[in-house]
Amino acid sequence: MSATSANRYDLLVIGAGIMGATAALRAAQGGMRVIVVERDVAGSGASGVNAGTLSLQIKRVGLMRYALRGYEWWREAGEAVGFKRTGGYTLAFTASEQALLEERMTKKRDAGAPIELVSPAEARAREPALSDRVVGASYCAADGYADSTRTGPYLRGLLRAANVHLHEHTLARSIDAGGDGFRVATPGGPIDARRLLIASGAWTASVAAMLGVTLPINVRVNTVSVTEPGPRRLHAAIGHATGLLTLKQKANGSYLIGGGWQGRGSPATGRGEVDGETLLQNLRLARFAVPALAHTRVLRSWTGFEASVADHYPLAGVLPGVPNAYVLACVRGGYTIGPCIGPLVADLILGREPELPLFDPTRVLAVTTRDGSRAGDGRVPGK
Amino acid sequence: MSASPHAGPAGSCDVAVLGAGPAGAAAAIEASALGLRVALLDEQPIAGGQVYRAVPGIAPVRADRDRAEGDRLRSTVADANIERHFCHRVWHVERVDDEWRVHALGPEGPRTVHAAALIVATGAQERHVPFAGWERPGVIGLAAATVLIKAQRILPGRNVVVAGVGPLLLVVAKAIIEGGGRVAAIVDANARGDWFAHARDLVSRPDLVARGIGWIRTMRSHGVPMLHGHILRTVDGDTRSLRAVAAPIGRDGHPHAEVASTELLCDAVCCGFGLMPATDVTRLAGAAHAFDPARGGWHVIVDADQRCDLPGLYAAGDGAGVTGAAAAPLQGRIAASAVARDLGRMDANARGARGKKRGSVRAARFGTAMTQLASVGDGAIASIPADVIVCQCERLSRRVLDGAIDDGCATINDLKSATRCGMGPCGGRLCEDTAARLIAIRTGRTRTDIGQATGRPPLRPVDLDALAGTFDYDALPMPVPSPL
Amino acid sequence: MSNSDLRITRNVHRGAPIRFQFDGCGVDAYEGESVAAALWASGIRALPAGDGDGPPVRALFCAMGVCQQCTVSVDGVRVEACRTTVRAGLDVRSRP
Repeated sequence: MSATSANRYDLLVIGAGIMGATAALRAAQGGMRVIVVERDVAGSGASGVNAGTLSLQIKRVGLMRYALRGYEWWREAGEAVGFKRTGGYTLAFTASEQALLEERMTKKRDAGAPIELVSPAEARAREPALSDRVVGASYCAADGYADSTRTGPYLRGLLRAANVHLHEHTLARSIDAGGDGFRVATPGGPIDARRLLIASGAWTASVAAMLGVTLPINVRVNTVSVTEPGPRRLHAAIGHATGLLTLKQKANGSYLIGGGWQGRGSPATGRGEVDGETLLQNLRLARFAVPALAHTRVLRSWTGFEASVADHYPLAGVLPGVPNAYVLACVRGGYTIGPCIGPLVADLILGREPELPLFDPTRVLAVTTRDGSRAGDGRVPGK
Repeated sequence: MSASPHAGPAGSCDVAVLGAGPAGAAAAIEASALGLRVALLDEQPIAGGQVYRAVPGIAPVRADRDRAEGDRLRSTVADANIERHFCHRVWHVERVDDEWRVHALGPEGPRTVHAAALIVATGAQERHVPFAGWERPGVIGLAAATVLIKAQRILPGRNVVVAGVGPLLLVVAKAIIEGGGRVAAIVDANARGDWFAHARDLVSRPDLVARGIGWIRTMRSHGVPMLHGHILRTVDGDTRSLRAVAAPIGRDGHPHAEVASTELLCDAVCCGFGLMPATDVTRLAGAAHAFDPARGGWHVIVDADQRCDLPGLYAAGDGAGVTGAAAAPLQGRIAASAVARDLGRMDANARGARGKKRGSVRAARFGTAMTQLASVGDGAIASIPADVIVCQCERLSRRVLDGAIDDGCATINDLKSATRCGMGPCGGRLCEDTAARLIAIRTGRTRTDIGQATGRPPLRPVDLDALAGTFDYDALPMPVPSPL
Repeated sequence: MSNSDLRITRNVHRGAPIRFQFDGCGVDAYEGESVAAALWASGIRALPAGDGDGPPVRALFCAMGVCQQCTVSVDGVRVEACRTTVRAGLDVRSRP
């Protein structure tokens, strides 16, 4: 590679979602010259199409510290991202759901989230729109949501202000690794950088494959639906003991319904499809929880890809086997947690000690490798 | 209905046909004649599509040619050996395990039709070019005017401005006069001589040309002012007391600054700028589309046998390219034959609907000429004032869209994400064409590169309760809880 | 039975005259008509804006279930007025 050091970046990030963008910003703050390349536009993946839920109640216990920090970023972003602190309820409708709710919320509260168990009567007194079939509930005053469609423009503005170069509609076609760093081929020409961060969401496995690294990433196809505006009935964000429902009524009166019901499709085609049957189940669950949804009209349903690995913890750290390459992906609850974990990975890249432990990607290779010769013991990180 | 020799499980058929207009009706009847099990779905209570639209209970005493044609279509559909699902709104189509699932909502609740093949014959929709006041009560579409007058037997007004471009102008004006109303003026973006530019293609259907000339004579004899080379710039006033201002435009659609506008007092405005293929179903299915002004804009790509690029998907009629009602039935029959062949159900010696190419070419040439006459130059879009509302559902002005385009929105999907243009209840049907033209004008990009908005279900808004139906909480198939 | 001046009188067979309610007021119509067409014929062309303020939206634009501007409530269900057939005693509301 014959690029001069003058036009070689200190860090090239592939993916301008929350992960890549917040990492890029932190790296730039730390003095690096950073470029982000994005195949579509900033925030066009999961970051921009999810239901926008910022709920501590649905975060994993092992990720609660990260969620609390990430949440603060959203709160500070405020109106620019449509942040709303509405409080949130998680509902149980059967005895076993209630048991599950109590067990989980107790652990999450112990992990630092301000969650309290409340009686159905209390919940319904504060939220009359809730179903009278609720048998148990929990409440977190901090829960709320933001407008995920604003993620992209907000991130773009931050990147610009920090003088981070952003190349949108720019696909990374191939990556050459050499002594000086990396050369990424794009339709606009090659880009050179000393360090590389793969933060490509559902496309992370295919990008890592360009460097010969096989990451066992699973991709889920989550369905979200939005209704027409209706009279104001619901104030808090609503969840379900199993995590299979998110429901909120936005400022303009329309309802946003999610919960991870699966559509079809793959990042390879870039296209997800709504599955008619699972959509109906998602809508039924929402309708059951909040009967006020009766007779609103569904306007639009869509899908978004969400990457994860088998233990459902993030990949956040060095890319196995490739010096100066890093990966940040597969964060369940990534919308809330991203703004915390992006900067942590940037700190690692800057050579600083991250304030919270990261999640070593080599562990997933250890679990799946056959000859057992790799380092890594498959231990659950973050504990 | 006699049992089909190839009866499958209830709710399943060989071919589902979406749309009971000329193309869909012909496709369904032909498919049935070829021995296929057919399901025909349409939102309306009876067949006819838009061109032969009618409602049960309201009828002319003496049917004109169109009404007679429509009645014929309705009766052949009623007599055919097919499953009819009228008043059914299709909200999703998906291909799973080599079959189509057509999700619909009817008066009795949800229904899913399983079909090996799907023929999309959902026709065309009207193109609109915004002007100040186009969102006011009292302004309706040209196609809406034909529905009101022909199907409901109600006039848009007693003194109506008919504005826009294309063959529907005369159709509506004539219908208003026949109904006892007055036409305050026809405001036609085409210059008077434009019709002659297409004379060669138009004479392929001398009967329709004669009809058009007859309509023009009627306008003259009723003293209807015909403002050629004009577009509406403003409509204001109160519900039935409206003031419309029509400005002269040049070839490119730009208003002439120096030439005076004309003020028209009226009690209703009917406006429309030609027809575009309705591509929402084929987009949702993921089929390949192309942009061709001669076919009305974006249309699904079909081969000579009306096959789309996805297995089991076919399109016929205006949805595959606006070629008009005359060309539609043959396309429907061709699609049905292709389905039968592709399902291995056609006798190798069977004639099928591959013949009659000449009639089809003639009909299509006329239809295409009509489509080309129904366009207006970019200047008409470029000169839309900044305050004019382009996306009515989200109340977005041109200024907002231009700002987003200047900020980097290069595709219609970019613009949609950035501004919410097209995210309202109409799904972009009123604004997407204008928004795309604004991007083209401002960035120089081609319509092909600007693209179409990604198709998403439901195809039209659907009541959540109607979708959900009655259900048991305990019967909901909950997947495994998310990890703790 | 009133007949607005917009109903075509030549060459038409109509159904029986009926009466329905719109925002609590009686509206005359004929069997077979859509709610939107009947409202139009009665001179009702505007619906109050969804958010309370702002200019009124209209009760008819496309007449074919595309534009959604004629959306009204019938028995609490939001429907397009242009796709809803009138019935004697139908209770139509402009707001949910």
